[in-house]
Order: sequence, then C-alpha cells, then structure tokens
Amino acid sequence: MLIHHHPTDELLSAYCAGSLPLSQALCLSAHIEMCKTCQTNSQRLSQLGAYIFNHTKPATVNNDLKEKIFSQLDQRPYHLKTTERKSMAAGHASAEVPKCLKQFVASNYDELNWHRVSFAIRQANICTGGNGAQVSLMRIKAGGKAGLHTHMGNEFTTVLKGAFSDESGLFQQGDFVVRDSQHKHRPAATKDSECICLTVLEAPIQFTGYFTRWLNPLLRRGYPSA
Amino acid sequence: MVSSLTEEEQIALQHKMRQCMQKVAQHRDKEAFGVLFDHFAPLLRSFSLAREPGASLMADELTQVVLLKVWEKAHTYNSDKASVSTWIYTLARNSRIDLLRRSGRYTTEIDPEYLWQETEDESTDPFLDVQQKRAEKSIADAFEHLSIDQRQVLTKVYLEGKTHQESAEELALPLGTIKSRIRLALKKLQILVRNQPC
Repeated sequence: MLIHHHPTDELLSAYCAGSLPLSQALCLSAHIEMCKTCQTNSQRLSQLGAYIFNHTKPATVNNDLKEKIFSQLDQRPYHLKTTERKSMAAGHASAEVPKCLKQFVASNYDELNWHRVSFAIRQANICTGGNGAQVSLMRIKAGGKAGLHTHMGNEFTTVLKGAFSDESGLFQQGDFVVRDSQHKHRPAATKDSECICLTVLEAPIQFTGYFTRWLNPLLRRGYPSA
Repeated sequence: MVSSLTEEEQIALQHKMRQCMQKVAQHRDKEAFGVLFDHFAPLLRSFSLAREPGASLMADELTQVVLLKVWEKAHTYNSDKASVSTWIYTLARNSRIDLLRRSGRYTTEIDPEYLWQETEDESTDPFLDVQQKRAEKSIADAFEHLSIDQRQVLTKVYLEGKTHQESAEELALPLGTIKSRIRLALKKLQILVRNQPC
C-alpha cells in the first residue's frame, strides 16, 4: 500500500512533541500506524525532541526524591529481559481496528452505536476532545455521497477502510487529510466498498446544499456543545 | 541550551547509558539504575518545569513516574531502535501528558497510553541502528546552526509543550510564521524521509 496523503511536517512534529490536542493526536496516530514513512519520520522527530530534552539546563534534584524512588524499587513489578521478542509487524494495514482506537472499539466497528445521518451515511461518536472537538467514525455506503458541506473549524480525517473522493482527489485507506473552514466539499465513497473514516472536528459540520440544509439539526444532535 | 560535551564525550556517555539499561534489564542492577537516575532526574524535572513553571511537586512526580517506568520496562527497551535518551524522552512526553490529563488540564476520555506506540514496536530491521545513529548525528550537527528564531519555536513546542497557536500568541507572531519556521528548521535538519511504500 502506498499512502499518498500525509500530515505536514509541522503537524507531525507537534504530535511527536506531545503538544497537539489529544483528539488530533488520535487521528494522526491512526494514520501513522498504517504509514511507514510517517513511522520513520516520527521516530526522527522524537530524536529531535530527545536532543532538545538532553540539552536543557538540568534542574536541581532533592536527595529525598532519590531516596523515595529507590525505596520503591523492590516492590515494583518487574520483568527480566528474555532473548525472544514478540514480533510485531510494522504495518497494520490489514488489521481492522488501529491500536490507538482499541480504547473505544474493542474488536470491530459493528459493535458501535451508529446513527443514521442520511441515506448513505452513518456516524458513531466515540469521544470528545478537551478542546470541544468531536471525535467520530463516519461510515459511507459503497458509492454513497455525502451532502455538500463546509466545516466551522478544522476537520482531521484518516481513512480506515475503503476510499472516498471529492473535488480535490482520491483518499484511500491510510490517507490523512485536513480540511479547514474555507473548504466546501462533497465526498463520495468509491463504488467497490463502503468507506470508514475517523474524523476529528473542531466544530460541527454545516450543510450548505439546498436539499441537505435540513440535515444540520439532525447532525448537531451528536454534538453535546452545539 | 547547554552543549558542553564534545562529540566523543557524547558518544561515550550514550554508550554508558546503554550499558546501564542492559544491567537494569538483565540483573536488576540498582547501581546502574543510580547512574541513570543521576543523569536523567535533573533533565526530567527541568522538562516538567518548562511546561508548568514553579510546579515543583509536579516535577518530582513526573521524575518519579518516568524513572519507575524505566525500572519496570527496561526489558522493552530496544537499543537498535532508539538511544536511551530518545526512549526516556518519549516516556517523559507521554507521562507529562498523562499527568496533565489526570490533573484535569485536558477534559477528554482519550487515554494517551494508546497513542505513541511506535518506539515500542519491535520490528527487526538491520539498518535501523545505522539510520538512527545517522539521524542523531545529523540533528547534533545541524541544530546549533539553526537560527535563534527557529530554535526558539522548536523549544516552545517540544520543551514547553505549547501548541502552534499558543506559541504564536506568546511570541506575538502570526500562526503562519510559527508553522513556516518549524517547516524550514526541519528542512535544514534533513532528517525526514519521503514516501516509503508500506
């Protein structure tokens, strides 16, 4: 699998610095699990973090802290190193649910509480971010189209299954894309399979099409803050 | 930024840390753990204080959480994949987020433990070690040649844990400037790769 759409360098570095809101970090994490390039780059960007960490001015450490930590060592659970290592493949492209989503989806997407947004789209809200962001999964039927819409804030998307296309291109499994509030688009799943995406939305979507404007109150139901 | 060590001294130090990790992992060696403690505890306190200035108790807590993880998880450290500093930096980053979350700074159900797992993956690739050392050298060679502005923004993001938006506000710069400074700095460091097939 060759992934075509990646987070920008500055976004990936914010992820590696741990300075992204957790909701956005979750979306990047899902992409990185499927993307060899971003795995390598996040390793490098963490090395950069380590360099900066290593070159900070050391703070003073109280002797009590050392004693306190050493006094706990004997009670801590501990594993001796063995020579055999469990092998974990680097790519998780074929696995259904990415590891970072296991905290919300134990085994498969069907177990979630999906609600219908339109004929072709179902949505399952999985959590909220500290910044009022809404983290959900979107499921579009094979060949199904979403209504024309814009966002009130940035929307992060990672394609977990299948593919969708819109005015700006084709987005396949593993691809990552950010849309801002300027962007009006009308995504449609490809005909061969349903499409499941992880989306993180800073503020609810606004449907702008004449026929789909009536969907706004329905969709907003999913957002506690709206 | 403190950079008092020469390149050879830096390599010798890393080698020593690696040996200490091995002794902790294989023999539960407290003396070796003491060496790791003396090197990393002051850096960990400093890392916490950069995010939360004046929060001395939190700095102690972060130091304790991370060093106890080092003690417990030493067996999962893979020296082919990361230097000891990188491994401990990633533990510190994750623990800092978790502490902030527990103290109610982030009101979200997302558990950071499930994110950032890449350094614990144990995929075996004979070139990893070489690539990792090359990137490390590249960072060390190029970092001090970045402009002061570029270093300042990277420090804000990495050390102080500030978002791009927060960095922009604190430095009184447009958001776009923050992003382009980071982008240019990373370009200058030459550590990123493009499009590897999966």
